[in-house]
Amino acid sequence: MHPLIHLALSLPSWQDEQPFLVTGLALGGVYALSGVGMIVLFRTTGVLNLSFGAVGAFGALISWQLINHSGMNQWLAYLACVLFGGVITLAYGMVFGRALAGRDPLVKTTATLGLTLILLGAMDLLWTSNGGASRSISLPTDNHGFMVGQIQVTTTDVIALAIGVAITVATTLFLRYSRLGTAMRAMANDREITATLGVPVRRVEASAWFGCGIVAGISGILLADLVALDATTLTFLVISSLAAALIARLSSIWITFIAAIIIGVVDAGVTPITSLTNYRDMTPFVLAAIALGFLNRKRVLSLARQEF
Amino acid sequence: MRSYHLLPRMRIGLASVAAVALLALAGCGSSGSSKSASGGGATTSAAGTSSAPAGSTGTSGGGTASGGVSSCGPKPGQKATGSPINIGTIDTHQPGTDFTDGPNMIQAYFNCVNDNGGVNGHPLKLFVELDQTQPAQITAAAHKLIQSDHVVAIDGVFDLLECTLDQSYWKGLGIFEMDAGIAPECWSTPNSAAVNMGPRYSSDGAVQYAIDVAKAKKIVFVQSNVPGTGYIAAGPSALAKASNVPIKELTENVPINDANSVALNLVNSAGPDGWVVLNFTPPEALVILQAAQKLGLEDRVKGWGCSTPCNTDFLAKALGPKWNRKLFVNAELASPDDHSGPEWDLYKGILSKYGSSVAGGIGSFSQMGFVLAKFLVQALQNVHGAYTMKSVNDAIVGIKDYKTSMICEPWTYGKVALHIPNNTDYTTTPDNGKMVTAQGCTPISAADPQIAQYRAAAKAAGI
Repeated sequence: MHPLIHLALSLPSWQDEQPFLVTGLALGGVYALSGVGMIVLFRTTGVLNLSFGAVGAFGALISWQLINHSGMNQWLAYLACVLFGGVITLAYGMVFGRALAGRDPLVKTTATLGLTLILLGAMDLLWTSNGGASRSISLPTDNHGFMVGQIQVTTTDVIALAIGVAITVATTLFLRYSRLGTAMRAMANDREITATLGVPVRRVEASAWFGCGIVAGISGILLADLVALDATTLTFLVISSLAAALIARLSSIWITFIAAIIIGVVDAGVTPITSLTNYRDMTPFVLAAIALGFLNRKRVLSLARQEF
Repeated sequence: MRSYHLLPRMRIGLASVAAVALLALAGCGSSGSSKSASGGGATTSAAGTSSAPAGSTGTSGGGTASGGVSSCGPKPGQKATGSPINIGTIDTHQPGTDFTDGPNMIQAYFNCVNDNGGVNGHPLKLFVELDQTQPAQITAAAHKLIQSDHVVAIDGVFDLLECTLDQSYWKGLGIFEMDAGIAPECWSTPNSAAVNMGPRYSSDGAVQYAIDVAKAKKIVFVQSNVPGTGYIAAGPSALAKASNVPIKELTENVPINDANSVALNLVNSAGPDGWVVLNFTPPEALVILQAAQKLGLEDRVKGWGCSTPCNTDFLAKALGPKWNRKLFVNAELASPDDHSGPEWDLYKGILSKYGSSVAGGIGSFSQMGFVLAKFLVQALQNVHGAYTMKSVNDAIVGIKDYKTSMICEPWTYGKVALHIPNNTDYTTTPDNGKMVTAQGCTPISAADPQIAQYRAAAKAAGI
C-alpha cells in the first residue's frame, strides 16, 4: 500500500483527535514557559541557556528528596526548587557570565552545556535509578479538575497553560514599561553603550540570570508532574523550548509562546496516528526547519553573492 | 532579492539545537561515555571492585554471625582461609540502566559465605566488570575476566547485551554462565541459563493473566521502541492468537515525553473490554500509569498488566491505593511482601548485614542476586578436588532441581540447546504501597513456541 494511503487510512476521527489536542495544550504551555525564560536571558546577556532543563530537573529532584525523605511541607519543597533554580543560575551567571561577557555568543552558549553536564552527572550520582527506583512528583492540583469531552483536565494542566500565558504577558509588560526592563532591552542592543549611559549592567544581568533560573525552577516542577521526574528526560525537554525560541528567531516572546503551544499540540496530536507516532519526537525539529525555511525563503546568503 | 547575512543569533540557535540533540543522543544511546571512567575503574581494579562491600566484611570480621545469617556457610563464625575461588560477572551500569544491585547482592552473599566457612574452606572472590552497552567493552571484559583475573565461572550477569556477545566465547571455553538476562540469547543458547524469565516470557505471563483470568476481549501490548521488540512481542502475540483474542502491538520512544497522550492512545486502542499490557522499566511504566490516573482513564479499560520490572514497591508506593487490584504484574520471583520462611530470613539478614551497597534493598534485583549466588555456592560445594574451570562448570551445568522459595519450580541447568528453566510464575498487584500476590505459581503457556521448544528439549534430556 502506498505510504500516503496508509497514512490517510490511519488518521483518527476528529472526535478521537480532540482529547490529544487538549493534552498537548498543557505541555505546550510549559514549553512556552521555558522558551520565554530562555529568550529573556538571551536578549539581555546574549547567552542561550542550554542548562535550563537540567536546572529545573535538579530542583525537582531536590523537592522530591525534601518531601519524601525529610518530611518537608510540599509547598515549601517546591519553593526550594524554584529558589534553587534562581540561585544556581545566578551563581553561574555571576561567575562565568562576567568572564565570558566579551566572547562570541556561540562560546557563551556552549559554556552552558558544561553546567548541563555537571548537573546531569550529579543527578545520576545522587538519585540513582538502581533497583527499579521510580520517582514522581504529584502536585495537589492533580486531584482537581473538570471533564473536557472524554478526558479529565486537571488543575495542573490549566495552571501550566496559565503560567505560560502569564509569564509571557508579564515579561512583555516588564520589558516595555519597567526601568529594569528598559535597561535589559538597552543591553540587548549594545552592552558597552548601555554601561556608559550609567546603567548598572551587572545588576541588570544578575536580575536576568536570577529570573531565568526562577522560571527554570517553576518549569522543572511543572514538567516533573506533567511529564516525568527523570533527570535525562527533563534535561533534554529543553529541545522543544529551544525549537520554539528558534522559530521566533530568539527575539519575539509572543512568537516563542505560540510556537511552543503549536509544538506541544502537534506532538500530542500525532500520537494516535499509527504510522507517525514513533516519529513525533521529531516535531520540534521539523517545525523549526519548516519555519526557518519559510522565513528565509526570499533571502540568499551574502557569502554566495560575494563569490559569484 | 535581498541579500542576507545569516544572523549570528540564528547560527547560535541552530548550533545549540544540534549540540543539545547530540547530547541527548549521547545521553540516551551511549551515555556510557560519561560513565566509562567508573566502568573503567571497575575494570582496571576488579580485585578492588570485588571487595566493594569491604566495610561490611570488616564489620563481620569478628565472625560472630547473628540472626540466622550464619546459615549461609557451613562453619558459622569461621572465616574461610583457603585459596580463593575466582568468579566473574559482567553488568550494565549506565545512566538510566543500572543493574549493579544484582552483583552487589552476590558480593554480599559471598561475604556472608566467606565469614562462615567459605566453600569447602575456600573464600569466594567476585570480579565485577561494568559496561555501558558498548559491544567492544563487553567482549573485552569477558576476555579480561578469563585471561587476567583467572575466573573459573561466570555467575550473576545482569546485562543488556552480554548474552548476545559472549556466547561463542563461553561455549569455546566450556563455561556455562548463570545470569539474570535481558537479551534473547540468555534463554536460547546452550551455555546460558537465567533465573529470571526476561521480557518475552514475562510479557507472556502478563498477557496470559489478562486472557485466562480476567477474560479480556482485546490486548494492547506496548513496549519501548528499541531493537528486539519483534522478538519480545512474538510471545504475547502467539498467546493471544492461540486464544483468538485480538492483540495490538505498539511501541513508544523512551524516555516518554508526553505520557498523557500515550495513556490516552492505549486506552482508546484497548476499549472498555480490553487490557493494556506494558513492558517498560518502572520509571516509564509509572509515568504512563500516573498519566492514566490524572486523566481519569484507569477504569476505561478492563484492566492493566505489566511485565516483571513493575513488580517493585517503588511503583506500588508511587501509584497509591487507586491502583489496588487494577494493575496485575507478572512476577518471575515471589513477592517479599507476603512470603516468609528461613530462606527469606537469610535473604533479608544478608541484605541487612552485608548489603549496604545494594541501593534498591529488598526487590527483584537483590532477590535474583541472592538466588544466583545461592545456586552457585550449592554447586561449588559438590565439587570434589581442585576448583578448575572444568570442574566448576561441570558442577554448574549439572545443577538439577535446586530449590528456592523465591521461584516457583526447582531450577535445573542441564545440557540442552536452550534454557528457560524459570517458566512458571506469579502475578502480583499493588496493595496500599506493596506488591502482593494475586495469582500463585502458573506455568507460562506453551502457546509461545519457544516455551514449547524448551519443554520438549528438557523432557528429551531427562530434565
